[in-house]
Amino acid sequence: MGRAGISAFVAFAVGLLTLLSLLLGDNPALFGGQPGSEVLAERLALPGDVLLRLVVIVVALSIVIGIANLLYVHVGRVARGKFYSAVLLASFAFTIYWYVTNRGDSSLLEAAQVPIESALASLLFFSLVYGGARVMRKRADIWGLLFVAVVIIVLLGSLPLAELAPVKAWSDWLMAVPVSAGARAILLGIALGTVVAGVRAMLGQDRSYRG
Amino acid sequence: MAENTIALVSFLLTLMVFSYILGDIPLVSVLYRSAVFIFAGMTAAFTLVVTYEGLILPYLQDIQDRSTSWTTLGHSADIYIFGAALLFGLLLLLKPFHALSWLTNSVLAVVIVVGASVAVVGALSGTLFPLLQATAALPAGITQDFSAMMDRLLVFVGTMTALFYFHYQLRANRDGLAQGSRLGQGFRHIGKAFIVTTLGAIYASTILTCLTILTERISFLFQFGA
Repeated sequence: MGRAGISAFVAFAVGLLTLLSLLLGDNPALFGGQPGSEVLAERLALPGDVLLRLVVIVVALSIVIGIANLLYVHVGRVARGKFYSAVLLASFAFTIYWYVTNRGDSSLLEAAQVPIESALASLLFFSLVYGGARVMRKRADIWGLLFVAVVIIVLLGSLPLAELAPVKAWSDWLMAVPVSAGARAILLGIALGTVVAGVRAMLGQDRSYRG
Repeated sequence: MAENTIALVSFLLTLMVFSYILGDIPLVSVLYRSAVFIFAGMTAAFTLVVTYEGLILPYLQDIQDRSTSWTTLGHSADIYIFGAALLFGLLLLLKPFHALSWLTNSVLAVVIVVGASVAVVGALSGTLFPLLQATAALPAGITQDFSAMMDRLLVFVGTMTALFYFHYQLRANRDGLAQGSRLGQGFRHIGKAFIVTTLGAIYASTILTCLTILTERISFLFQFGA
């Protein structure tokens, strides 16, 4: 077995163990409630429990490694005279200094993080309106028309004007029936895709971990 | 931090981000880009703090406390799990060394498949079965209300046809060319109408959310200016 085969075997064995443990563990009803079924269910849940704890700590460590890599890259860029990397490193260092000297104080979050986040989100408004207008110019077919019509109905339906009560009723019906059906189908599609992608990763068909 | 300082910093950072609207003017674009890099640096720092305080520190405290145990195996097993996780973390650092990268890949394989298993179980028990059940089931007393029954039927048809829209199976005709059935094409068109309607509604909801945030930011700028 080659080195790539070792990773694939590890993936299959660990994936199967975790899946069985999560599906069968902590569920005594699956074993007909017979004597000892609770102990059996608890034992079956154990491998999944251990692996989940292990992976949570590894993920936490990988986040730390990722941030260390980000800093390393930007230190290199500062050495080449990049101004914005210096801004990033300075804001990182200041935030850590603030956290160490003012534990439990969230005012830096309120003063800097939240305003930038909300200002960036509000800029998205212009992009979305511009994108909506471009739909009609680039794609003037039945589907483009339907898309823009729904956008306009939902936007008008959200206005608190008595004159627009029929539009509001139409918008509410749209949200309750066709949108609900489409959203259910999209969610079901995501769930089916997740199952297929998960099984493919476990079977070693999708070896994204090879990097 | 004093309230006035918080407001002043918020005001300046909001203006820096809004300078994007003025376009790609050299001196003005420095403000927007600086705000974005400040945001990236702070986000990295906050992520580090949250990861340390919310994950690593509690686990470190737990393994020092003999009265706690994560599993039924007892306290000593916790130390082994934590030790193994640290070892895995160290193996992740071997990625740049080509000859040893298979060790890193094995650790990544464990992380990915455990995540995939959790996702599969979550998708099955949290989305797939409950959503199918909710779509197919009829609420009690619905047969007396014709319009509610029609709406329910429409939701069912919409869900099924929208799922069918992603079905790409074709058959070869006598000339060997790929051909879909007319019925299937009809279902696909109905499904597409439901999906386009949903995407339009999601798009409109996102516009409304962004508009609400924009209104809040602009009112903050005016309040601070006053």
